[in-house]
This record gives sequence, structure tokens and C-alpha cells, in this order.
Amino acid sequence: MNRRVLIGIFDSEDDILAATDAARRRGLVIVDVFAPYAVHGLDKAMGLARSKLPWVCFLLGLFGAAFKVWFEYWTTASDWPINVGGKPWNSLPAFVPITFEVMVLFAGLSTVVAFFGMNRLWPGRKADLLDPRVTNDRFALVLEEDDAAFDVDEVKTFLWSHNALRVEERELEVAR
Amino acid sequence: MENQYWRSLAEREQPAAQELEFDGPGNSRRDFLKAAGFVLAGTALSGCARAPVEKAIPHLDQPGGVIAGRAQFYASTCGACPAGCGLLAKVRDGRPIKLEGNPDQAISRGASCAVGQASLLGLYDSLRLKQPLAHGKPAAWEQVDREIAARLAEIRKAGGAVRYLSGTITSPTKLEMIGRFLAQFSDARHVMYDALSVSAILDAHEQTHGARILPHYRFAAADVIASFDADFLGTWISPVEFARDYASRRLPPEMSWHVQFEGRMSVTGSKADLRVKAAPDEILGRLERLAERIEANDPAGDELAARLLRARGRSLVVCGLNDLAAQVLTNHINHLLGNYGATLDIERPSLQRRGNDRALADLLAELQAGRVAALFIDGVNPAAELPAAPALDRAKLVVSFAGSVDETSQHAHYICPDHHYLESWADAEPVRGLISFTQPTIRPLNRTRAVIESLAVWVGQPASAYELIREHWKDRIDWDRALEKGCAEVNVAAQAPRWMGAKLQRRAPAAEGYTAVLYPAVGMLDGRHAGNPWLHELPDPITKTVWDNCALLSPKTAAALGVRDGDVVRIEGGVAVELPAVVQPGQHDRVIAVALGYGRKASERFANIGPRWTGSKPTVNENGRVGVNASPLLALEGGLLRYERCGVMIATTGRRIELASTQAHHTLSVPTHLAPPDGKVRPIIREITPEELGKPPEHAEHHEELWPDDHPYTGHRWGMAVDLNACTGCSACVIACQAENNTPVVGKDEMRRRRGMHWIRIDRYYSGPPDDVRVAHQPMMCQQCDHAPCETVCPTLATVHSDEGLNQQVYNRCVGTRYCANNCPYKARRFNWFNYPSNDKLANLVLNPDVTVRSRGVMEKCTFCVQRIQEAKIEAKRLGVPLKDGDIRVACEQSCPADAIVFGDLNDPNSRASRLAQDARQYRVLEELNVRPAVHYLKVIRNRNGKGGQDHG
Amino acid sequence: MAEVCSPLRLPLIAGRKQPAAVTEDVCRPMLRPPSILWWAGFALAFSLLLMGVAAVGYQIATGVGVWGLNTTVGWAFDITNFVFWVGIGHAGTLISAILFLFRQKWRTSVNRSAEAMTLFAVMCAGIFPIIHTGRPWLAFWLFPYPNFRGPLWINFRSPLAWDAFAISTYFLISAVFWYIGLIPDLATIRDRLKPGLRQRLFAIFSLGWNGSYRVWRHYEVLYLLLAGLATPLVVSVHTIVSWDFATSVIPGWHATIFPPYFVAGAIFSGIAMVLTLMLVARKTMGLEDYITQRHVDAMCKLLLLTSGIVALAYATEFFTALYSGNPYEQFVFMNRAKGPFAWAYWTMVGCNVLIPQLLWFERVRRRLVIVFLLSLFINVGMWFERFVIIVTSLHRDFLPANWSGYTPTIYEIATLLGSFGLFFTCFLIFCRVLPVIAMGEVKAVLSHGNGKGGHA
Repeated sequence: MNRRVLIGIFDSEDDILAATDAARRRGLVIVDVFAPYAVHGLDKAMGLARSKLPWVCFLLGLFGAAFKVWFEYWTTASDWPINVGGKPWNSLPAFVPITFEVMVLFAGLSTVVAFFGMNRLWPGRKADLLDPRVTNDRFALVLEEDDAAFDVDEVKTFLWSHNALRVEERELEVAR
Repeated sequence: MENQYWRSLAEREQPAAQELEFDGPGNSRRDFLKAAGFVLAGTALSGCARAPVEKAIPHLDQPGGVIAGRAQFYASTCGACPAGCGLLAKVRDGRPIKLEGNPDQAISRGASCAVGQASLLGLYDSLRLKQPLAHGKPAAWEQVDREIAARLAEIRKAGGAVRYLSGTITSPTKLEMIGRFLAQFSDARHVMYDALSVSAILDAHEQTHGARILPHYRFAAADVIASFDADFLGTWISPVEFARDYASRRLPPEMSWHVQFEGRMSVTGSKADLRVKAAPDEILGRLERLAERIEANDPAGDELAARLLRARGRSLVVCGLNDLAAQVLTNHINHLLGNYGATLDIERPSLQRRGNDRALADLLAELQAGRVAALFIDGVNPAAELPAAPALDRAKLVVSFAGSVDETSQHAHYICPDHHYLESWADAEPVRGLISFTQPTIRPLNRTRAVIESLAVWVGQPASAYELIREHWKDRIDWDRALEKGCAEVNVAAQAPRWMGAKLQRRAPAAEGYTAVLYPAVGMLDGRHAGNPWLHELPDPITKTVWDNCALLSPKTAAALGVRDGDVVRIEGGVAVELPAVVQPGQHDRVIAVALGYGRKASERFANIGPRWTGSKPTVNENGRVGVNASPLLALEGGLLRYERCGVMIATTGRRIELASTQAHHTLSVPTHLAPPDGKVRPIIREITPEELGKPPEHAEHHEELWPDDHPYTGHRWGMAVDLNACTGCSACVIACQAENNTPVVGKDEMRRRRGMHWIRIDRYYSGPPDDVRVAHQPMMCQQCDHAPCETVCPTLATVHSDEGLNQQVYNRCVGTRYCANNCPYKARRFNWFNYPSNDKLANLVLNPDVTVRSRGVMEKCTFCVQRIQEAKIEAKRLGVPLKDGDIRVACEQSCPADAIVFGDLNDPNSRASRLAQDARQYRVLEELNVRPAVHYLKVIRNRNGKGGQDHG
Repeated sequence: MAEVCSPLRLPLIAGRKQPAAVTEDVCRPMLRPPSILWWAGFALAFSLLLMGVAAVGYQIATGVGVWGLNTTVGWAFDITNFVFWVGIGHAGTLISAILFLFRQKWRTSVNRSAEAMTLFAVMCAGIFPIIHTGRPWLAFWLFPYPNFRGPLWINFRSPLAWDAFAISTYFLISAVFWYIGLIPDLATIRDRLKPGLRQRLFAIFSLGWNGSYRVWRHYEVLYLLLAGLATPLVVSVHTIVSWDFATSVIPGWHATIFPPYFVAGAIFSGIAMVLTLMLVARKTMGLEDYITQRHVDAMCKLLLLTSGIVALAYATEFFTALYSGNPYEQFVFMNRAKGPFAWAYWTMVGCNVLIPQLLWFERVRRRLVIVFLLSLFINVGMWFERFVIIVTSLHRDFLPANWSGYTPTIYEIATLLGSFGLFFTCFLIFCRVLPVIAMGEVKAVLSHGNGKGGHA
């Protein structure tokens, strides 16, 4: 959907942090912040909830391990039991290493897939950039205007006060 | 020829021609039926056109004829040497694929030797002559016969001298035939000689007993055995028979006491209770001293004399020197001890060696003088075996019966190739009164002809060998029974020649300088099998070298000369021979031992044996042959072939040959500078004295189970017991295994790289001080461990355990990680490093169809002859009877002359194997690893102070 | 998790860079045509690679027999190279994952190339288990895939099966970890390239990354999770590799000390290899400001530590052997130190224990040439460590009748050199086409030690 947004471009980590934090306190709707690298604390400043990825990782890791233990037991002791060096049919200790490897594999790959999925990243996707340098050394704070209480000029000055380099209004197709 | 072999239809076109060799033109109707039968068989079983001749009678009471995929055993007699051991030829789909000892025959009693086992491969030798040669060119029998007949007619008219030169012939029929043949000529003589001559023994008996005979030695009856340089367990006269007798007396309380005087280290010496180093020239002196003490009936502190005197009539003195004085002395001693008639049988003497070196010398002189008109050479290769090649070119007519072109036959005007013994009818009389028969197990592969048939033709009364032999024994034996058993007894009204006294002459005292001792190697003997790759790749039981003969030097001598293994040394003594040196512990310092039978023309074929790749080296030496022929060092003097040459010089040449040996470290104690603190010797081989035998055995260490035992063995549980005390290292098992399990020959270079493929090997360890070296032989094969380390580490389940305790190798599942081999404490596994060439179609016929031929990149190892286990189980099931102990005899066990290997069901408390597994001498190699091997070893008994035999001495 | 950096601390990145400058510095070598030096290196590496390919081709066509192995010594160069390369790989994961968890910010300038090194090293390692088999074309039988032979599965009790899983997992996870780390940098480059094929390629692989912090947030967590997974993984992988030997019955292999011993050794050799590469890259690509004395110093200290662990392991092996009273065990170690392969053993001790002791001296650590040479010695020493473990244990085991020797053939040597060829070929290409320094991460730590202190 199209929304009118007010964008402030900054060139310093500290300014964008301060600006974002302030904007949230002022009750402005922060559409998004764009940064060339992970700025620590920015997620707090934006008031974002914790990521769900750890759950994916944990659950699929668990599934991988469980599946592998079962599979090793089934193949060795049940599907086709063969006497190997007089070892017992169910040589559980010997199954541990592969179980661990498979657990890591499942956990890792599934988390990555989940990450791509939930952020809609795919090969060849068109990148919508607010500023050509936002992947280099610029930071962008995007605020939503569609709000009765929103006073464009006041917010502009607010941004300027956090030494923004540039402030502009735009009709923006926002992916949420 | 292979082609013709494969085409069964081609045979129908000329059945008569084929059959002539067997039953003459008489029964052509049967020939047609037979041929038709072959065609049927041939079409039914691809490539199995040659069923054995119908008149041959199977050993078991089954009807004759071929059953597809079903093996039949035909009693036969080994033709690999004159000893005349009994064989059962295993014939499968019309071709012999394995030779086993014939238990019913009195010489070998079920055992066989390495050479006998390997002689099977000689049948499928693609270099055998395909037809007779006339002046070096292929010819038809008719033409050869015509020409020879013509030449003989001339000679008969001119009264020229005809000589028939052969090795020992034990076949009565053949001797009779030769007699008939020579009878046509005014001046004809049959000369027999043995490349490994014992002529002196016969001469000595001529002197002491008035008859030129070879006693039949009975080691089983001897409590005390004194052997002076006679390698009777290895190569002397009739080793299989002697080994069987000897082994039967090597357990307390009846244990015999054996002393060996010898210059080199022989297999026999390695088993002796007391081994005394004595150069050949010292032996006569020792015999003289012994004789004096025996005469005086006073040991004078000599242990041997004392023991001999205590064991009158129960002792045996043998001497291996081809020296008249020594042999007369030996007879004298045996006579004084009253051993004649007890341990030496001269009433029914041995006929296994009848060569007369004096006659040979005369013949050579005649040849030299050009006084021989026609010379017939049968079964010997004088040009290679004698010190100097005979002057064959001076004889007007030279006819050879050799099966291939060798050093001698290449000079012959005519070569009339004899059959391989497995193709022909023959009889043998190895010991007076014991007749052993040879039945054809396959129709002749080539257009060869039995010697007696050739002679019959030349006498003018053509007849088949079958007819001749049958005629010869017509009313003296029950023919069918005899053929079935493979042998028969005929009573000969003989009475023992009586003692006529010995005139002992003194001989010169011990010589100075080095003495070259020329000995027959266990695998190569006199070299008649020099074309046999199995025997060349067979590790020598003592030196463990393969594909070479060497100059064996004592450690001290080697040090004095500054030579190491592989340094080429030059042995000078009138003639010069250059060979690589090998340091041989336990050898006399003045002795240089060299094996005969090498450097033969027949070994030129091995130039390209083994895998070829950028790094591979040829198997043959610079001379293009395997090893060096040492015969020039022999001497034919005083009417005797001398196998020791005194006063030879030895010098280094600075050259080296990379020898191939299957063992690099020769003792169980590790090098001193690497020895662990406690410095204990590894308990791989364990020894025990007769005294300790009484004591309760130290119980094997007990291991706690770390995991639930999910694998109880409810049915069979295959296991093995190997008696290290019995094992002589003769290596018959090694070749038997190779023949049974299709293990490839890899050539010298691969052996040098330590990549031999034998499934069973014999580890040889020295122990004791350098001046009293003790030897132990340890057959080592897959131990079929219950907790097999190899199985656990194989990622692809290519080696797993059967519910009968077998460690199975699944070739087609193996990817070849070699982890199993690395993890095998016994290193019993063999890896196919290459695709080993097998493009000799004919030689491939020896392969056992029951055993997969392994491809490159897979692991293999001893299977306990699982194919035999399965066959026996199926048979038992078919007959609805339980499997009996002894129904399954694995290849190595079957061939062992010493009965050292016993296979059986360990779950059956009464099986021999499980009883031996409970024996006081039982132990398992590396059992402390808790791998639980299924192979039990029995400790070596060291009977130094002879308690074993003394309690009734 | 704010952290206070004392102004006294050396700056991580020298020369008070601004983010734009970082991008500039890192991309410059990528965008300008390769230097003569690069071409020379590439030519050498690639010819080595070709030689290796030829050697392996001949071996696969002819048989494993073209190697110097025998019935007693069934493994030698093949598995030595395998363990060696796996070990090299581990440093990459250590730096990118373990140091990340420990918040060692200095890692940022080396982790990208260290991870690349891991990938290439594991590629080299992975070749050997395949080609060392007698029938390489059937090597896939090591994996339990459904088949029509029963189905016949595999032996999950075999360390080689564990290996197959460990190595493939390790490769996949390392590859993913590396790629995830690359995405923001790919976007950075995408946005500064002129339109063209190259630009399009970067566009494809940067997955439309636009720096949105809603993504950054998940990204951070993902990176942390992967680091958390890779850390135990790297330990498990070399533990399993060590089990190839430890679970056997062969004296000199059958030792419980192996897992820690191998892991330490792996990191030791890996760090050495990282140093070797970094010191070269630093000079040739003008990255002195990013790979500073401080990085070298830190890695030298890691070397010193792991060298100590390895030395302890060597000593412990001897002690346990002598203390065990097991004659076979005792012999193996006597044989290592004084037997036919003593030269290899002492090379190993010299390179891995004695020479690294020089690193105690700061003067040595500051002389980069010396550090470079040291790292080379350590690489040699660690290769010999594996050779000693494998060959000296095998060539003289329980039954003296089996004792044999071992000499490599030209094919084994060519294969070893070939693996180095592959490794450097890959690495040189990597230096050309991808950012050797993780720009995104370096930018985040620019301020460190630059007086300005940390951020709120």
C-alpha cells in the first residue's frame, strides 16, 4: 500500500540511534530504519520484538537429532540387523556422533531457510533503496505521515535537530 | 590350441584321432557315443567339453560321468617328483581344478606338498608343446614316427649305441616298455640319474648289502633320529611321507628325539631338538667318531651315542651327503644299532630314487667321445641340471620327450612331447610292492603322446597306454578296485639282502676355506617346475625370499665380507657364479648355501608377469630369468654328483639386487635400541617343555563383557587349531590355499613392495643365541575373530560376521578404504592394489569356479574355505544326515603333511578342533586384545633334554 | 551489551577510517585489474592443480597400487593430507564463530578470508577420503541412501561413516555461514558497481538486501545462532577425525587423548595458515590498516597457546605409553622417537614445539617476516604430525613378521602438491571477486579504540 513517509538521512551511527530513540519516545510511527551495518541497540531504539529464529533453530535441531537416532536404531537393529564385530544390535554410543552432526545440519539449514522466508529474500529480488549510499555509509530513518497528529514541519525540525543530512517526503511502497 | 579346446564340435570331427590315444581303433562305436556325449556335455556346460575318460573310475562309489557343477575325485599319483604320493584330483565340469592327498595311499596318506599342489598349474601351461617337433619345426606324429623309425633302422643295421637317459622311473610298465624298446638294439643301455642324487646310498648298500637298493626309511618307528645333512622334512627323497611319519612321533610321551647336523639351515634343522652346525666336510669325521663309540658300545660322554645305544632297533641314522664313505659309515652305524629291518626296510626297499651317477658319468664320456648313435632323453634336463651340458651335438639322433622346449630339448632332433601326468594313464611303484596308479583326469589338451605309447609305436606294436598298463597288471591286481583306491599292494617274494660288512676308508680331514653347498629349495627342487609361477612366488620356508635364489651366508661371514642382504657376491671355484647374498642365521660360518633349480629357460616367461605401471620393475634379473643356475658349481667326480664344493672363494661385486622377501624382521624380540623397559619378548609364539606339559595350563585371561552379547552361536561355530609343534613350514598349505581360492600371482616387484596376496602365510621367527638358533613356524591366516576389529570399522558393511562365527568379506560391497586391514592386528587381509592380469585363457582354467575372482580395489582374505563349508552342509542336507566332524576339510588342512592344521566345529565338544582348543598347549595369538580369534594355536614343544622320549628309553 | 574500550587500547582499524573509506579500500583491489604478482601466483597454483589432477587421474585409472602403500601400511599420504586440510579449515571457523561468541572484535578484519580458507581447505580435505578408496566411483556407498539391495544401509558404528557425515555437515554449515556473512557486502558492492554483468551477478546474490533494520535484526540473531552451531561443530568434526584412529586397536592410534589433541592441533595449524595468507594479502592488497600489528599479535598468542597444548599432548602420549606397561604401546613410541621414521618425528617436534617458542618475544611477533616464516614451519610440522601418527603406528604393529616400511611414490607427492594447487587457486580467485574483508562488520567496529569510546 502506498503511504506518505518522511525520511531523514544521517551519516553517523550515533545520530541515527539518538534520532530513532527520540522518534519512538515522541510516539512517531517508525516505518523502518536503513543502515549499512548492524548498529547495536538500534532494535531497542526502534522498539522491535525479539526474533523468533531461535525457536526454529531449536525445534528443527531437536527434530533432526530425534530422527537420526531413530533412523540409526531402525537400520542397524531392526530393518536389517547384521552382526558387526560382535557389537550389540543397538550400539547407541556409536550412534551419537552422526546424531550430533545431523542435528547441527538440520538446525543450521532450517534457520537459514526460515530467515530467507520471513524476510522475503530471494535471488534476483529487486532492492528498493532509499538512498544509493544506504548500503555504504548512510543511515535512513523512515517515519509515517498518515496520522492526524503528525506535524510535518515539527518533525522535520526534530530531524534536523538530530543533524540529519537531508530530509525529504515521499510516496513509498513499503514492504512490511 | 585354446580355441580347439573350447570348441567341442571340433572334436567330433576327429574323435578317432583323439581316441586312438586311449583305446585304439577297436571300439569305434563307443567312440562315436562318447564323442556325441561330449558334444552334449559341451553344449550343456559351456566350455566343459573334456570329461575324463570313462574308464577312469571315481574314487567315491558314484557312477562315472559328469554332473554339472558337481566335483568328482579321481585317485591318481603325483608326477611332480619320483616320490609318488597319492592324489585325489578334484575334477569339476570336466577339468581338474585341485589336487588333494589320497588318504588310501600309503606314501602320502592324504597329504601332499607344495610342489605337488602346484603341479596342477603345469597342466594348463600354455607354453607346453602343442605337437611334436622335428628339427625344431612342428610336425605330425606320423611324420615323426616315420623319420625316427627310419633312423633307428639304420642305427640297428650299423649296430650303433642307443642310450635311454631318464630320471628315476618308478613305473614298472614303462621300465618294461623301455626294456622291450632297447632290446631291439645290439648296444643299448638305459641310464637313470637324479638331479637330486642319492646315488651314494645305493652304492653304499651295494657294498654293504650286495644289492643296489635304497632303504625305505620308517621315521615313525624311530625314538632317536640322527640326521646328517638330510633334509628329510623338506626335500629329501620322500618328504611328505617322512614328514607324516616324523610328526606322528613328536608328542610326549612317545616323543622322538631328533638331532640334526647340517651346514645350512634346513626345514628339518628348524624342527630338530638339537641342531649342530657342521660343514659337509666335517660330517664324515663326526660319523666316524659316532661309529667308533657305537662299536665300542661306549658313549664316552657323547649324548647322541648314548641315546642311540639306548634305542637300539628304535633309532635311525640318515645321511644326506652324496658321498660313498659317509653312506657306508651310516649303514655301518645303522647295522650296529640293529636298525635294519626296524627303521630301515630293505626287504621292501624304496624305488623313489634309482639314479646311478657312475652310469651317468660313463654316458657323458661316451657322448663326449661321440660313441652314442641315438640318445633318448626322458624327464630330465641334463643341459641345465649337470655341472656341464652333455655333448648332445655329437649324437647322430637325439630324441627328447620333454613337454616343452628347454635347455636340453632345444638341441634334440625330435621332441615327442609327453602328456602332463594328469592327462595320462600311468602306474608307479614308489616302494617295492606298492603300486600306485595315475588316471587321466582330462583328455589331452595338446597333441601330445605318452612316452610308452611312443615307444610302443617304435617297437612296432602300437598300443594305448591304458592297454599297456592294464596288460602289465592283468592278473596280479583287482583292476577296478585298484583304480578306485588309486593303489594296490602286490606281494613280492623278496627277502632282505644280508649284511656283508663295510670297508670303511678314511677320508681327508676337514677342508679349509668356504664350502659351497648346493641344495634343492622346497619350492623349486631340481628346477623341473621352474615355469610354475605359484612356486616362484612361494616364500622359502626359511629365508622367506621369493622370485630369486641367493647365496646364503652366516651372519659372521656376511659381516666379515661386509655384505648385506641383496649385495651381489661372486662365488669362485673353478667356475664362477654371481648371486645376491642373504644373511642366514644358524648357518655354518664356512658354508655358502645356494639353491638349485633357478635361472632356467622356463622362467623367461615371467619377464612381464604382474601389474604393469610406470613404477613397476621386471620380475626377471638381467639374465632375463628368475634367479641364477647354480649347477655349474656341482661336480661329477668319482662317479658321484657332489653337491658341496670345498675351497671356494667369495667376493663382493659392488652390485645390488633388490630382493623380494615376505618378512623383514625375523625375531619376536624388537630391536634393542627400541626395546620397551621390561624388554620382554612378544608372546606371539609360545613354547613349552615336555615337563611343563603335565602341569595345569595357565588359564587364558578373562575379559569382562562391556556390552550385552547379542550374538550367541547356537548352530555351528567354525574354528581351527594349529599345532606349531607339528608345523614344519613346508608351505604345502600356502599353495593349496592359492589353488583353492584363486589368489593371484603378483610378481617380484609387488612382493618386494610387500603386497603378496597369499591368504595363508607362514611367519618364521628365530630365537636363542646366534650359535644355537631356534626356529618357529607360525601359519597365519584370518583369525575369524568374534570381536573382529575389521568389521566394526568398515563403513559400508562389506565385512560382517556370520552366525557360524565366520568373518565374511563381501567383495561387491567393498569400496576399498583399507581401514579393515589397518585395524587387523594380524594383518591377515589382502588388498587388490591392481587388476592382476589374467589374460592367459588356458591358465585361467585352473580357477576354482566356486570362488569369486576378485577385482581391483577390493579387500580379500582367508574365508575358512567357506565354499567347502557350504558344499558339505548342502550335501549333508541333501542326504538328510547331520554334518560329521571331518566332513569339511579346508584346503590348508587337507594338504598338511604334519597334520598341523585342524578345522572343525567348536560347538561340537567331540570335534578334533574343539578338543585341541581345550589342550594344555592351547593359546590364542594376541588374545589380550579381546578380539576373540577362532584360531587356536598349540605351543611348540622344546625337547632339548629329550624327556619326551626318555621315559621308555 | 555496551562495552567500554579504554582509549589506551590500540585501535582495531588504523588511520581513523570513515565507513565510505572502508568500502573504498576493500573494493579497490577488486575493481582494478589483477597485478603481475597475482598472475604469477595464480599461474603457479593452477599448474600445481593440473599436476595433481593428472596424478589422481592416473591413480584412479590404474589402481591405488601406484601409491607406496603395502599390506601393512594401508594409509599414508592420503589420510595424512585429509587430516591436515581438515585441520587447516578449523581456524576459519574458530575465528568467525568462536571469537564472535567471545566478542573478539578484532576478528572482523580477518574472519571473511579465514572462512573462505575454511571452505577451500575442507574442499581439499574432502577429496582424499574419496580418492584413497580402491573404487572411488563407489565412494557414495558411504551414505545411507535408499537402494534396491535390501535396502542395505551402512555401518553407523564405523568412524569412517561418522567422518562422511561430519565433513559434509561441516562443509555445508561453513558455506552457509560464509554466505550469510557476505550478503550485506554483496549489496554494498552491487550499489557501487556500474551496470553490467558483474553488477547483475552481485544483484542476484545479494538477494535484494536493502539494509532494512527489520531484516538486520533477524540477521544478527541468525548470525549468532550459526556461530553457536558452528562452534561445537568444529570441535566435533576434528574429534570425529581423531576417532578414525582412536577407536582402532592399533598401538599409537588407540588413545583417549586424541580428540582434544587433534582439535588443538587443528586450530594450531589453521591459525598458522591464516597468518600465512593474511600476511601475504596484507602486503599485496594494501590492507595494512585493517590487518594491523594487533591482529598478528593476537594470532601469535593463539599459536603459542595451541603449540603448548600440542606439546603437552606429545608428552602425555609418551607418558601414558610408558606408564601403561603395554609393551606394544611402549614400543610404538620408542619406535617413533628412535625408529626408521625418527626424522619425521623430530621434524614434527621441532616445528610444532620448539620453533613456536620464539613467539614469547614481542620483538619476534613484531617482525612480520619472521612471523611469516614461523607460520610456514608450523604448517610443515603439523603435516608431519599426522604423517607420524599414521605411518609410524602402522608400519610396525603387533606381529614382527608384518613389519614393513613405506616410501611415497611420485603420484602421492604430486597429489599433495595438487591439493595445495587447488587451495591457492580457489583463494586467489576469491581475492579477486569477493570482498576479502567483512566491510559490514569492520564499519561496526571502526570507532573501537579510536578515543571516541563505545556507543550507548
